[in-house]
Amino acid sequence: MTGFELPIAFFLLCNLIVALLAAARGPTAADRMLTALLFGSTGTGVLVLLAYGGAGQVLVDVALLLALLAAIGGIAFARRAWQRGRDD
Amino acid sequence: MIPSLLLRFLLFSVLWWVLAEGRIDGWWLGAVAVVTATCVSVILMPPAVHRLRWGQIPSFVLFFLRNSVRGGFQVAMMALRGRAALQPGVLELQLNLPAGGPRVLMTNVIGLMPGTLSVELAEDRLRVHVLDERLPIEAEAGELEARISALFGVGR
Amino acid sequence: MIDILSAVLQIAGAFFYFAGTLGLLRFPDVYSRLHALAKADNLGLGCVLIGLALQAETLAGSLKLLLIWPLALAASAGVSYAIACRADSLGVAPWRKEKH
Repeated sequence: MTGFELPIAFFLLCNLIVALLAAARGPTAADRMLTALLFGSTGTGVLVLLAYGGAGQVLVDVALLLALLAAIGGIAFARRAWQRGRDD
Repeated sequence: MIPSLLLRFLLFSVLWWVLAEGRIDGWWLGAVAVVTATCVSVILMPPAVHRLRWGQIPSFVLFFLRNSVRGGFQVAMMALRGRAALQPGVLELQLNLPAGGPRVLMTNVIGLMPGTLSVELAEDRLRVHVLDERLPIEAEAGELEARISALFGVGR
Repeated sequence: MIDILSAVLQIAGAFFYFAGTLGLLRFPDVYSRLHALAKADNLGLGCVLIGLALQAETLAGSLKLLLIWPLALAASAGVSYAIACRADSLGVAPWRKEKH
């Protein structure tokens, strides 16, 4: 623990909140999906930082799972959910 | 067939060991998981014609790391400068790699290299979106292709 | 020494994450946003993971952290190809800079 973990995790969280607010007005389904992917990658980072900032190793498993779920979500979106003419 | 099965079994065992953080109290669950993973991997991805050259992996990994750091840095700088830094375009590359593993690897890896993103792979033609047309994309793609050929030990 | 290196890597990671988010918000179309997401964010994650792996107490613990990176890389490479391919087949045209 270097003492930087929690401030950096907080910084990443702020990043994520700004991106989420921007996605709420995002014009297309793809923009919202990209924010969901950002949620996956930033969320993974936040979780490992928290794990080493004192919350315990369990969160590393959660981070691994989040990274996997973001991948599955992205593929499912591209293959099934994104249809022509809904909002593009 | 048998050696590649054994290799996968070993890889999945190491993976389990890492995931369990070196603990062995759940070994029976691990054994079930490793055997299942080996079977599923053989069904989904049968041992292919193009095999990896194990000795080539370290140099490929180094090449990949160096370029993905460069790519991340480049796109970060473009993000700081905003739209003015971009001059996007779409290029079509002619691949000289054999179908299957090598082409799929190329399609995926080029998305993490500086300035390129695969859009469509059709037979031996790969369309890529580039962030800045002024960059020497074709030369870099050519080098990546040569590295992948070496990794699979296929001639060009 | 290791602590300093670890802190530097974490801060570098935070910078790349920030740049990735910035790119996602500022870039003009879905393709260039995917560039920002796939490259900058993953580099950020890589820096953070290596920084933390330096601190891990056990070998398996640090390998586990480093294992997240290739997983995330493979996932984002596959996902960005799938989304770009879908966008292309739906006829989403890439943004072009207007000629002056």
